[in-house]
Amino acid sequence: MNAFGLIQIGLILVCTTTISSLQCNHLPLQQRKMIKNSLQLLDKMGKKFPQHCLREKMSFRFPEQVLKPRQKDTVKVAVEEIFQHIFYIFSKNLTLAAWDGRALEQFQNGLYQQIEQLEVCVIKKKTHYFQSKEVNRLKLKKYFQKIDCFLKDKQHNLCSWEISRAEMRRCLQLIDKVIRKL
Amino acid sequence: MDERAAVMLLLLLLLLLLLLLLLLLLLLLGGVGRRAVAALLSCLLAALPLRCAGQTNLKSPQDIQVYAVNTNFTLRWNYTGNDTTVTFSAEYRWFEDFETNEAEWKELPGCQNVTRMECDFSSAITEYYDTHHVRIRAERREEVSPWSSIFEMVPYYIAQIGPPGIELQSTNGVIKIKVSPPEANQVRKMWITHLSFKYNLVIWKNSSDAEFRSQSIFPTDTIDDLAPDTTYCLKVQATLPLELQEGLFSPVRCIKTTHKVNDLLCATNVSVLALNMEFHLHWNNQYEHHVSYNVQYLMGYLKKLPDDYSVKWLNVPGCENITDTQCNFSSIITTISGFYYLRVQAMNEYNKSCLSNEVKVDPLITNEIGPPGVKVDISNVLLHIQISPPGGSESEVMRDHYDLSYRILYWKNSLNNEQEIKMKEIKQTIGTVSDLTPSTLYCVKVQAFSKVYNKSSQFSKEECIKTPGATFVTALVVVLLVAALLGLALYQAYNKIKYVFFPSCQPPLNIKGFEGQPFSSLYESTREEPTEKCSIIEISITEEVNQIDFKDHKHSKQSSRDSGNYSYDDDTSGIKVSEETLEKEIV
Repeated sequence: MNAFGLIQIGLILVCTTTISSLQCNHLPLQQRKMIKNSLQLLDKMGKKFPQHCLREKMSFRFPEQVLKPRQKDTVKVAVEEIFQHIFYIFSKNLTLAAWDGRALEQFQNGLYQQIEQLEVCVIKKKTHYFQSKEVNRLKLKKYFQKIDCFLKDKQHNLCSWEISRAEMRRCLQLIDKVIRKL
Repeated sequence: MDERAAVMLLLLLLLLLLLLLLLLLLLLLGGVGRRAVAALLSCLLAALPLRCAGQTNLKSPQDIQVYAVNTNFTLRWNYTGNDTTVTFSAEYRWFEDFETNEAEWKELPGCQNVTRMECDFSSAITEYYDTHHVRIRAERREEVSPWSSIFEMVPYYIAQIGPPGIELQSTNGVIKIKVSPPEANQVRKMWITHLSFKYNLVIWKNSSDAEFRSQSIFPTDTIDDLAPDTTYCLKVQATLPLELQEGLFSPVRCIKTTHKVNDLLCATNVSVLALNMEFHLHWNNQYEHHVSYNVQYLMGYLKKLPDDYSVKWLNVPGCENITDTQCNFSSIITTISGFYYLRVQAMNEYNKSCLSNEVKVDPLITNEIGPPGVKVDISNVLLHIQISPPGGSESEVMRDHYDLSYRILYWKNSLNNEQEIKMKEIKQTIGTVSDLTPSTLYCVKVQAFSKVYNKSSQFSKEECIKTPGATFVTALVVVLLVAALLGLALYQAYNKIKYVFFPSCQPPLNIKGFEGQPFSSLYESTREEPTEKCSIIEISITEEVNQIDFKDHKHSKQSSRDSGNYSYDDDTSGIKVSEETLEKEIV
């Protein structure tokens, strides 16, 4: 990863920002609103957690340390990554889950907007962060990989989706707590 | 010199001790032990620079590198020896769950007994997030070199993003591109969140002095802004902004743009105007004949998915088959979080249709805040300003999402245009202004703004109100005084009239006897009575003279003070003086 490569990345990002707003002051407020909205949509999407799915429940162990570091920007990057993973998970085959399509669409739309905004604002600000390959971020990737594999193994059936939804809800609640302190 | 000698002596002594120990062992042990010990001895005796028996002079490989694209891992190294019969074997180990416990070295599959300077060990790597160690050594028959230095790596961080796939289509002066992500059909992926890829397109004209243009594109996108009937060459790379990773470019593809047909049917200048969360789409019509429009929308996130979103455009309710060149699409903005794309489909009577350009709407950023309502009220020395937030029924949404504050401007509306405009910022809808000067006209206007979104509304209408002041009090005093004076004057007039026409005492009988004689003539006659100038006794004269002087002085004094005529009635003079003084006070 040489300096020229970094310059190129910088150029790409500058080009994308010409379309979107360069201003980032509204991001914390918008993020808080979006997370609150997303939690409501997650609840609205489906019914209460089915009892019979409890026995299939797995412990995924979300790495909470990733949201607790000393630097504000590290947390922001972690939050961005979590949003990307959640967006990816909910874009998969959801037919067996039989959830409310509209709620799901709105959920995804909100997430996507945040991802785009964060990409512009967070990455623009602190580029030197990425040089330090934190162990916590790898743990985060492993966590989501586990969920991905779990869904695949269960062939995306209803219970696996319900368990994943509950897990994502927990994730968002943790993020909600953390960003209020930021 | 002495020190060096001492050290040498010590070393020699140590060696001797070791030799003695070994001899003892030799004596004690038998067979194998003896051979091992003998080997060790010969090793020691050979001294440090020489290799021991069983070791060769094979060098270990150096400059170990790992080249990885997606999930393909290649190990490369350098070997300085010139022996061609040398083969290489590698070992690896990895640490699960980020613990640094001792893991065992395993043979690296795909890198056993290789003759070339590189090998592919992709099959060994399954845990992309764990730390792996790799080492390699050279081998020749029975000889092995020492292990090379350990190469430490985390597969995820060392891997590069491979090239994406491209599909091109040239239509109507634009190029439609469809990008397939790297690892598109692979079962095991390095980049599991392939949705996070941002694709970077580099495009240039296929001429000698072409300039490169770089832009970010969606997996399915249209490249416009191109010259028609020209050959363009392009290449795409996938990037992961969060990892600061740039992928390898796809192979260069060249394509020629077609002739551009300027269809008059299409709607042009599509723009969005939004006020207080009421969103309106406006466009122009170049076609004179019957055109009906259909406004369509797409949720923003759909462009990020690899599926074809062109079938996912939906009609905006209330804007289907319309002839008007504007549409109110507020009904589709269901979540404030999220982008929307809008476009206009124009259709003529022959069922020919044309799609306009798309416009992207980010609700809170596109929306403009309208002016608030303002009412003012005065109480004592406080000015109360009541603000009604902009937006009416949508005001709750706006206040919640924008975190609205209000900017109050107030100034004294005096005639001599020296208006010092003061400002006050508040978050609530009721504001008070103190430190007002009495009896002045104050004017107020209010603006709503969002600090975080850097948006402010137009100012409301001006509302003016006058502060109660001393003028009121003084007016009251003046009225009272005037009333008092009037009262006094009336009383005096009444007294005079009473005195003149209805005297309380009767005139003496002798005067009364003169019937028919006018009163005034008697009065006059007494005046015109000639007086003799007589000299009087001094003492009495001086007193009288003094008295007269005093009186004259008084009169003269009075004359110097007022310019008007003065009456000489003793009765009334005193009162007159008081009147004058009163008047002077008032003035």
